Amino acid sequence: MISAGLVRGALLGLLAVVLALSLLIVANRFVRRHRERRRERIAAPVRGSLLELLCAEGDEQTELLNRLAEIDRRTWAALEPTLTTLLGKVAGGARAALVRLYELRGAAVDAVTELSSRSAARRGRAAQVLGQLSHRPAAPSLCRLLADRDPEVRLAATRALGRCGGPEAVPYLLESLYGPRAVPPAAVIRALVSLGPQAQRSVAAGLEHPQPLARAVAIEVLGATGVVSHTSEIARALREDPQIEVRVKAARALGRLCMPEGLEPLLAAVRPGRPVALRMVGAGALGTLGAVAATGPLAELLGDPDRHVAATAARALLQLGPEGRAELHAAADDRSRGPAAAQARAVLAESAVGAARHDVRAEVAL
Amino acid sequence: MSVATGEPWASLLGALHTVITVCDSVVIVYFLAINTSYLVLILIALGEFVRTLRRAPFAGHDEAATSPLTPPVSVIMPAHNEAAGIAEAVRAMLLLRYPEFEVVVVDDGSIDGTLDALREAFDLAEVEYVVPDDIPVRGGVTSVHLPRGGPVRLVVARKDNGGKADALNVGINLARYPLVCMVDADSILDSEALLAVAKPFCDDPQRVVASGGVVGLANGCTVVAGRVVEARVPPDLLGRVQVVEYLRAFLLGRTGWSKLGSLLIIAGAFGLFRKDAVVAVGGMDPDCIGEDAELVIRLHKHMREQGRDYRIVFVAEPISWSEAPSKLKVLAHQRRRWHRGLTEILLKHRRMIGNPRYGRIGLLALPFYVVFELLAPLVELAGLVLVPLGVLMGAVNADFLWRFLVVAYIYAVVVGMVSVAVEEYAFHRFTRWRDVWGGLVGVVAENIGYRQLTAWWRLRGMWDGLRKSPQVWGAMTRAGFESPGQVREKGGDRV
Repeated sequence: MISAGLVRGALLGLLAVVLALSLLIVANRFVRRHRERRRERIAAPVRGSLLELLCAEGDEQTELLNRLAEIDRRTWAALEPTLTTLLGKVAGGARAALVRLYELRGAAVDAVTELSSRSAARRGRAAQVLGQLSHRPAAPSLCRLLADRDPEVRLAATRALGRCGGPEAVPYLLESLYGPRAVPPAAVIRALVSLGPQAQRSVAAGLEHPQPLARAVAIEVLGATGVVSHTSEIARALREDPQIEVRVKAARALGRLCMPEGLEPLLAAVRPGRPVALRMVGAGALGTLGAVAATGPLAELLGDPDRHVAATAARALLQLGPEGRAELHAAADDRSRGPAAAQARAVLAESAVGAARHDVRAEVAL
Repeated sequence: MSVATGEPWASLLGALHTVITVCDSVVIVYFLAINTSYLVLILIALGEFVRTLRRAPFAGHDEAATSPLTPPVSVIMPAHNEAAGIAEAVRAMLLLRYPEFEVVVVDDGSIDGTLDALREAFDLAEVEYVVPDDIPVRGGVTSVHLPRGGPVRLVVARKDNGGKADALNVGINLARYPLVCMVDADSILDSEALLAVAKPFCDDPQRVVASGGVVGLANGCTVVAGRVVEARVPPDLLGRVQVVEYLRAFLLGRTGWSKLGSLLIIAGAFGLFRKDAVVAVGGMDPDCIGEDAELVIRLHKHMREQGRDYRIVFVAEPISWSEAPSKLKVLAHQRRRWHRGLTEILLKHRRMIGNPRYGRIGLLALPFYVVFELLAPLVELAGLVLVPLGVLMGAVNADFLWRFLVVAYIYAVVVGMVSVAVEEYAFHRFTRWRDVWGGLVGVVAENIGYRQLTAWWRLRGMWDGLRKSPQVWGAMTRAGFESPGQVREKGGDRV
């Protein structure tokens, strides 16, 4: 049995812990408030200059930049949260001025050094800063960080590359999609889309990548950025790629690209017997494509045994304009067509109240 | 003669003495173990908070808020007799900050004009609609309504009464986006709530199948336009105790379990799921009172049986608020129902308990729930009876006992205070000193009477679950929130 002495000792120990916790709670609150007030007090005199900098031009801007660049470390630390917030909210000349201010303070150089820090939090923050500053010289270091052991740092590096990378970063981003230290495809897609038109030639090289995920991402990016010059390759991927995921992305991209070459492979993709995901996305893409020639095949899909395919086809018909709408009315009036008539009536009713729920992305899983 | 009759009594008393001594030891060890387990979970949660706070600057929230690649979400809101607050609740949902989402309200056979309130607020028109049958439902959909002519992403379905789980299943069938977010009609979400709870899906879309958000106590908080603008600890003792309980069990406990990869409960008040995963397991179980937790356990079961690499995570940020009972009677109903739900779930999935096939879920989380959640009221109430009996029979030294009770009580207070301290360090939502004081009062009061009362209610809930008595949802009378110029009052029964 537990001895009375032990109980007495535990009692005293616990009372000490209660006292310590009470002090901790009170002290934490006091310290936090004191720090906030101190930061406010220190930053207040220079905050006006910072706001002036956002609007200043020419010599006035240079003078303000020099003045702000020379503030002491304590004031800079107090001002930095405001600067970071502003950097994410302003554009044009104001943003350029803030970036210049960071550079004059040596923030970009410091961040590049921090990229090799042992602390994951520091590496991640450094990547974030470099991305915010669009610091192009950091791109090679950020490419290396795509294989960081910490997944959140990899994500921060991917986001940063989207802001400061160029075509040379594309192969690294595509490589980062697989392996033990992979980056989620959505993050890579976002970064590749952000790189702009000059990087899309490198992205198109990914269409021949041996990894299906890289091919799928390349197709998604080309579709999202509207690179019509690669429509035929994407159409071929829809017809021939052995991976369903790649074909689904190709169907969606063809809908977005709105090129005539997309019609035939999309019509083939929605035929019965193909995977449901592909048929759904294909039907949606035919609506986005807007080709009247798709009216008949889509009308046939209204009675499809899979209700999701049928509903997508009905909405796609609505997007085809008068021809599609006429087909919907015909199906709705034909009572012998049971489920097809119900789908047609439903989508027409939605349309009548002006609340048609159509979106190609809706049919796509994560 | 007297010796002959006295001997059996003496041996019986001796045996009883031994039994009570053993039982008292079990109760004592149990009390230490349960509080230690809470403390361990809280410390794990603290580690997670420190990590999250250090990484917040590069978490990428702003990017997710503006990117068209952020996965779209269908917010499903089942409603039963919520006419008083439904329009405001839906309006607040529609104003959430998220790139693309829709709100699907399922009116589960309300008789108080819930649908009329929505019709008036959003100019709804009834439309013909083909409801997919991905998940079988009991109460058929009688009508579907959409807002006229506008970009308002709202769908309202009216169905025959079938219970909350059935209404959620209808909502899942109506949802057109790959992620479904289940919220209560009386949940109050912060404007960033969807972004926060969807972040795990953006960061790890291949593996995350569900994520849950923190549910805070809205009692006493200032609510404006369906948003909590000032968090406060309620002035009444019952509210204060529940604040501490929510902090310890819902915020810190679940964060700890999530870190251990063994989260079993995602609150029905705010949880986000992959639609395909929910459909794959057959949706919510309409026969189970704790349908939210049951779904999570079924997802674990399914994923592990399929050999899938998956994650079910908890987002440790204060993002959702719910009103807790402010009357003992209502609280009693709630706790009885919760414990009945837990009993039913553990009975239903008893083959998973201790089964190595289900990894940490089978070997750690479920056994913990059996020992420290399901059986807790039984042991606590047994202790209330057996320990005094032990003193009377001389099986327990009275001097030792009172010292031990003081130690046990202070230990429980320490656990509660650590919860308050962690909240103060990581989130510091309560800005006033009196709120901190109120929280500490709640910590002190929780173990005097409240814990014993809830143990009794939970024991009755367990009995209901074991007997399989008819399911009855208690009346949830809501006091409303403090709101400048307007006080929201709600009341109603749930199926």
